[in-house]
Amino acid sequence: MFKDLADFAVKYALKKGADYSEARLESTTSNSFILKNGIAEASGFDKINGLGMRIIKNKTLGFASTNHMDKEKIKKLIQNTINTTEKASHLREEINLSEEKANKDRYRVKQKINLNDVGPEEKIKLLFNAEKELINTKINIPSRYLSLSDSITTEYLTNSDGTNILATVPKVTFFYLLTVEHDGKTSQRIWQYGQTGGFEFVKKWDIPSIVVNEVKALQNNLKFGIKPPKQALDIVAAPQVVGIMVHESGGHPYEADRIIGREGAQAGESFITKEMLGTRIGNEVVNVVDDPLLENSYGFYKYDNEGVKARRKYLIKEGIINEFLHNRETAYCMGIKSNGSSRSVNYDRESIVRMSNTFMLPGNHTEEELIKDVKLGIYMKNFMEWNIDDKRINQKYVGAESYLIKNGEIKEPVIKPVIEITTPQLYKSIDAVAKNMEYHAGNCGKGEPMQPIPVWFGGPSIRIRKIRLGN
Amino acid sequence: MEPEEISSHVLNKLLKAGADDVIVSVSKQESSQIKYSNNLINTTKTWENIDLGIFMALKKKIVLTNIKEFSLSATDDVVNKLLKFVKSASPNSEYAGIAKGPFSYKGVEDSYDKKIASLGNNSIDYVEKAINKALASGAKRTAGVFENSVNNISLLTSNDIKATDKGTHSYFSIRAFNSKYASCQKVGFSRMIDLLDVENLAEQAALISKQSLNPEHGKFGKFDVVFETLPFANIIDNLGMAMSAFSVEAGLSCLKDMVGKQVANKKITIIDDGMLKNGFNSSKFDAEGAPTQRNIMIDKGIFKTYLHNTSTAKRFNTKTTANAGLLSPSPTNLIVEKGNFSKQELFEQVKNGLYITNLWYTRFQNYNTGDFSTIPRDGIFIIKNGKIGKPIKGIRISENILTLLKNVAAIGNKPERVIGWEVETPVVTPAVLVKDVNITRPVD
Repeated sequence: MFKDLADFAVKYALKKGADYSEARLESTTSNSFILKNGIAEASGFDKINGLGMRIIKNKTLGFASTNHMDKEKIKKLIQNTINTTEKASHLREEINLSEEKANKDRYRVKQKINLNDVGPEEKIKLLFNAEKELINTKINIPSRYLSLSDSITTEYLTNSDGTNILATVPKVTFFYLLTVEHDGKTSQRIWQYGQTGGFEFVKKWDIPSIVVNEVKALQNNLKFGIKPPKQALDIVAAPQVVGIMVHESGGHPYEADRIIGREGAQAGESFITKEMLGTRIGNEVVNVVDDPLLENSYGFYKYDNEGVKARRKYLIKEGIINEFLHNRETAYCMGIKSNGSSRSVNYDRESIVRMSNTFMLPGNHTEEELIKDVKLGIYMKNFMEWNIDDKRINQKYVGAESYLIKNGEIKEPVIKPVIEITTPQLYKSIDAVAKNMEYHAGNCGKGEPMQPIPVWFGGPSIRIRKIRLGN
Repeated sequence: MEPEEISSHVLNKLLKAGADDVIVSVSKQESSQIKYSNNLINTTKTWENIDLGIFMALKKKIVLTNIKEFSLSATDDVVNKLLKFVKSASPNSEYAGIAKGPFSYKGVEDSYDKKIASLGNNSIDYVEKAINKALASGAKRTAGVFENSVNNISLLTSNDIKATDKGTHSYFSIRAFNSKYASCQKVGFSRMIDLLDVENLAEQAALISKQSLNPEHGKFGKFDVVFETLPFANIIDNLGMAMSAFSVEAGLSCLKDMVGKQVANKKITIIDDGMLKNGFNSSKFDAEGAPTQRNIMIDKGIFKTYLHNTSTAKRFNTKTTANAGLLSPSPTNLIVEKGNFSKQELFEQVKNGLYITNLWYTRFQNYNTGDFSTIPRDGIFIIKNGKIGKPIKGIRISENILTLLKNVAAIGNKPERVIGWEVETPVVTPAVLVKDVNITRPVD
């Protein structure tokens, strides 16, 4: 790594008149493997070495990045950035950062099976095994797209407040898109698994079982699925569905930069305002947190990209809007301390307020108890299509593997039940939360340029009372 | 060391080690962005990047790499790793080679602007003018970005291709707000800065934003919809991805087995043009070095061809359309051919319908069938007896993309150039009237 260069950059920016400077060095190596319809489409590896900087002068923020690891080029870049902030200063948003402790630390996520000790051959073999098992099911699967990737990122963060963090985080990801055909009709699922850690997690996932279970469920739904009932009913949503609900409507609207309008152009704003803190949004069984410290989670970090120590944030506590996600800038705006939610996906992206691992906390029931108390309802295990508006009110989830619940029992599969509901109605309709927990991996989109960032979303199964399905 | 020297060094080493096909690209980019919200600049951003991309086929084993590090020693490490990597890779029996040169290339008109290359922090003046114009036109708040870049690419392949290109790009977006629930977004791009009128975009955004104050909840049902250019571009962008031969093979396309068939109303003609004058993605050559071209994708509703690179084209018994993507062919600039109607005339054809000015979060339930939903955002208006009426909010389009294209009833005569967060491929399209669009909303 070029740590000296980052230290130099911070000092040089101060010398050139910056009031605050921060440098983030990234070194990433990654591998990826694609199997498409049984054929090894391609393998590849990428390497990143780059430096990103934030400079504040006269309360104006400038960001700059380069992968020219050359002192003279970095000096020129810093000078240009300072010149630009000076030119922008008459029209700038006044940037102040909350006072935070300057942390010094180094950490590394351990790998039981080091990613570098597993050759490309073994990695692609796993996908071939999954393909073999898919073919053995004899199910008609006209499109099978499987990919496996891994990366190791080392980041060095230093700033003019004295922060100094060195972190090494390995990640593994498995992605699939499967299309099942039956009787001229098709059904699809896209999903992914992701964790921080070594190859041991890829082995633990048991990729062949994941994809085989998926195609069996898709075929079962196509073969035996019935249309969903039209009358008001209850829904038992399983962890995958709860995870996406919580991410979209229990996480995004609590991002403080949305609330103050900073992401207004694209990612959007939020229906939540600062004044809504402490007010009720849902039933008291609802608790939603964001926690970067979950070990081996996809969104894991110990310190955020401003060097602030990560902690669990209670966004919704017993149904009450409790806390927002903050970086140092939004924290200052609201007169509080940052809660360590500043992230950027790579060295060449500005760090902004992001989720990490957002999930609903478990309750006391078993999933069976939730189902047992439903006369007519839907058990929605997972979903395919979903979306939500940019203020995070109007959301839709279309069930993939779903079943009818009748008199407390799971019955036949149901074809594409649609939950189309507003956020307040959703959270007020949750009357029971189970204790089964699952976390799922995704890449959350935000920022301009777009920064798809690894996160987990999850929760237990929940029961949503008396809603009417959408069309 | 100059990029060309590094490329040639890599190519020779890989060929010597037994590679059958090699492509080496070096791209250099210097770019900037001014990000603003609440009428103020949040951040100024500057990027300087150099990327080395290598594609290698050895006995049909395909390995790709992209390295954001540029030095001879780093390059030698990469070459050694590539050779080690390829030994344990599996062959792609469907791989069918890369484009064979040499080619002569035509330059793209209006693709490089010295003014953008030397713009520097004068970009702030454009943002200031746009914000002021929006406020003077009645907006209360604005948010957006202004981006400028200068790019250089050099390409060297084992099939006698040695090519270079350079370009400049300008992109502007503005979202004007009059309240939390009254807004309008406009975007524009150009390769020549004098052809990008940021103040005009700001004024248009402000005028629609002002009109969209105090929206009521919309109703569900079938409505005739006039799509503004930005939302129609969103739909065409998704269709463009379905046109790729790779998407067809991966299960991501509703156009599978559709070549030669009617996939849209006969009023619809769509072209992909890699040489489009002032086109955001126009370039002399594709990722294999094949000279880019103009391809008619949908001719009066009939789907004509998938987008191909050399390898996918051989699998489909046709010729490359020069849309490489080394793995996945992709569209360059999509053009919806203009029709005869002014926007006013489109409105006049609607008795009871909607005018939609933006879409967001388009997601597919099934890429094979084209079933999807998407959320209108910013100004949405009722059209009653040909006239724009009250603003509404809280609705969703739940449709099938092919059904929607078959229901196109009239096409506007004033194309606009759209690119953005949800429109990754640049699209040139006029406003379009579509009949019987399925509108849903949260169930009470």
